[in-house]
Amino acid sequence: MGPEHGRTDAAGAAALSQGASTLVLQGIAHSFGGLQVLRKVDIEVPAGRLVGLIGPNGSGKTTCFNIASGFLRQNAGRVLLDDQDISASSVQARSRAGLVRTFQAPKVFDQMTVLENLMVGAHKSTRTGMLGAMLGTRGARAEQAATRELAERCAQRFGIDALLPTRAGLLPAGQRRIVELARACMGRPRVLLLDEPSSGLNSEEIEVLRRWIRELNRDGLTVFLVSHDMGLMTVCDTVHVLYFGEVIASGSLADVQADARVREAYLGI
Amino acid sequence: MTNRNPGRTPLVVTMLVLLALWVLLPLGLSRHHVDLLNFAAILGIGGLGVGLLLGQCGIVNLGQAAFFGIGAYASAWCTTTLGWPASAAMATGAVISAAIAAVIGYPILRLSGFFLALATLAVGSIASVLFFEWDWLTGGTLGIGGVPKLSLLGWTLDTPERFYYFVWPVLALALWLAQNLVGGRPGLAMRAMRDAAPAAEVMAVDMHRLKTQMFVLCAVLGSLAGSLYSHYVSFVSVQSFTVERSIFFLLVPVIAGAHSVPGIVAGALFVALIPELLSGLGDFHQVVFGLLLVTVVTLMPGGLMGLLGTLRGQGGRR
Amino acid sequence: MSIGLLEQAVLSGITNGFIYALIGIGIAVIFKGSRIVNAMQGEFAVVGALITVFAMQAARMPYPVAIVAGVLVGALSGAVIDVLFVRPMTRRGASEESFLLLTIGLSFTLAAGALYFGGRDSHLLPGFGGQGVIEILQATLPVHAAWLIVVATAVVIALRLFYTRTLLGLSMSAAASDADGATSTGIDVGRMRLLTFLLGGGIGAIAGVLVTPLISMNYQMGIGLTLKGFAAAILGGLTNPLGALFGGLALGLLESLAVVGFPSGYRDVVALSLLVVIMIVMPNGLLGRAGRRGG
Repeated sequence: MGPEHGRTDAAGAAALSQGASTLVLQGIAHSFGGLQVLRKVDIEVPAGRLVGLIGPNGSGKTTCFNIASGFLRQNAGRVLLDDQDISASSVQARSRAGLVRTFQAPKVFDQMTVLENLMVGAHKSTRTGMLGAMLGTRGARAEQAATRELAERCAQRFGIDALLPTRAGLLPAGQRRIVELARACMGRPRVLLLDEPSSGLNSEEIEVLRRWIRELNRDGLTVFLVSHDMGLMTVCDTVHVLYFGEVIASGSLADVQADARVREAYLGI
Repeated sequence: MTNRNPGRTPLVVTMLVLLALWVLLPLGLSRHHVDLLNFAAILGIGGLGVGLLLGQCGIVNLGQAAFFGIGAYASAWCTTTLGWPASAAMATGAVISAAIAAVIGYPILRLSGFFLALATLAVGSIASVLFFEWDWLTGGTLGIGGVPKLSLLGWTLDTPERFYYFVWPVLALALWLAQNLVGGRPGLAMRAMRDAAPAAEVMAVDMHRLKTQMFVLCAVLGSLAGSLYSHYVSFVSVQSFTVERSIFFLLVPVIAGAHSVPGIVAGALFVALIPELLSGLGDFHQVVFGLLLVTVVTLMPGGLMGLLGTLRGQGGRR
Repeated sequence: MSIGLLEQAVLSGITNGFIYALIGIGIAVIFKGSRIVNAMQGEFAVVGALITVFAMQAARMPYPVAIVAGVLVGALSGAVIDVLFVRPMTRRGASEESFLLLTIGLSFTLAAGALYFGGRDSHLLPGFGGQGVIEILQATLPVHAAWLIVVATAVVIALRLFYTRTLLGLSMSAAASDADGATSTGIDVGRMRLLTFLLGGGIGAIAGVLVTPLISMNYQMGIGLTLKGFAAAILGGLTNPLGALFGGLALGLLESLAVVGFPSGYRDVVALSLLVVIMIVMPNGLLGRAGRRGG
């Protein structure tokens, strides 16, 4: 189910991407109760780049992520999207601005089919309200048909069109992850945040995932990736290492792995 | 017939048979039984609202009797004291219910699970007390009598049979609108919200707004049911708008299977007819009711429709 | 507005407050022990009271024995509910809504049962220490109410000691907050939950027995008591039984004082509105962390 299996649909690919944005975490600090989880985190994810964040457990990666995606409001610092301060924006507002995330355990809509999952991805670009839906107006029906068509094309691109009628909750972890990715792409994201995307996947599935991440980035999507899987990190242009709430090293994966402070942090050497 | 899905023909035939049955039913039943069927329809309209909240949003609403009462009293009072036409009174009840639901719903729908259910229970209880205390408006236990019957195009609905041919199409219309809603964009968003709320948020679903809209819709349906009720029995009093009534409304989707819109009919018929079947046992029928609710919840979480689905699955149909 | 009227309101507020506290404590106990919010706690009070009435009137038991019977039946009801309903539902991983529907359904069933077996009339029980009153400044307090306060306080203290000092109480707490951890130290989680429901049922029944001499009990009162018990429990932080005591007192006082001069029916409106406001504004209560599921 890798990128080479999805039908190359240039129009579909183009329709699903829409330019990229820059994400900046500026001076982020956060504490829970008395515990200082993030000290002063500065990370820039330039438009169209693939940036990774690694760090041992407890380093604050998840907190960082939740702040960037809007699930947590930081104590200090700013989150900027294309130089706009979105620190006070809701998750929904950030999504409409193009900032979309996935979750460590793939959050697909279990009771809904893959097709329905993908259709929800278009929620922010559609407008049918309660009244329109109830009355079945022509506009509502047209929008529904267009959404369905978009979902089908998206599924084709990701090579999951055979799964469209299946209930998402019945799929294995690897396919659920792809559905989650495809669903995120339905809304034409400009920045994609991936939270431990390889968790729960076997090595084959991780490889497929890796190739999809590279493919999406190659199409121009900004990607910010959090993981503790070094193999996955090889796709990144830049990697930041988080340790006890601070960035202790940045650079390519090779540079960072050779860095003395990183080695000390991870290996105690 | 070349393009028609062969699987649909049995469905179409079944629908036609049911329709014929529905049309002919009052001719073969006693007045009392037609009366019961009318109550079933009214229960269905109110229960549909509760069912939408339960099945689509996962919200347990224990306050539907409040809006049922508002609609009933609005219709009763506006037509008897103010002399308004029934439609204006009904609309008034609906508007008041919608407004109250919006104002109360906005803060309480931020709660979740038990706490939200508790809040709705509190709302229903408060309404019940106010209906009793504000007897200058509601007549308290003495109630309001002499509510005029509905008339449609010159035809007065003063017999159960006539009301039957009016109220059931109304229920059918409500079900149709609800089914459209559920199958459309809002329905999709609500089920997403129910299955994985954080992911729905990331898809930019405004969950609070959706819940508030559905709560208002539920209240309006309850109000309409109340208005129809008051015009049907021509008398409304406090005893009809207790927490017990709210539980009846809740029973409808629970027994039917909360996710099914057409199933509401089955649930409503069940809830309306059981007291009749158990009337010989007097007050015991309420015990049976409670046990039914409890049994369904414990053993058959999918309700009657869920049971039907399982049986059909076993029959080989997919 | 005479002082006497105000004082009377304070006294009745405190008395009612203790009842709400007891119901609230029962809810907190069950929540603490099973993570289930019991929407039928008030029915335990009804059951306890009516069984006591029945035991005295029909079976002609002496009052103290009848009370024991009532409390025992209340406790057993709790246990039966755990075994018959909660256990299978927990095993199949039922949703939060389902448990809520269950307790609501049970509330309705028990109320209907009370109607069927007890009739529509209200029932009275003799007051402890007779029907006399104590004069406090310009107001009167029924002797029974004084006893009520004493007994309720004793229950609260006993409960606190139980949960913090006895092995059984500590085990029950542990089983609720971390089932896997508890099991690995040899605690039978299922049995702990059963005991929790036993305890919750018993406390509810005690509340019912205590309140009946003052206001009489009929089949419909369960839900009202449950709601007020909830307000008390939530004010106190839902997992903190001591908190429910303060919550109950606060509620009782507030509702009495708010309607001095108004028909008593409005007391319920005040209490319930307060409940809704508390849930919205202070979900963790004044004293504790709610720690509720799906919050």
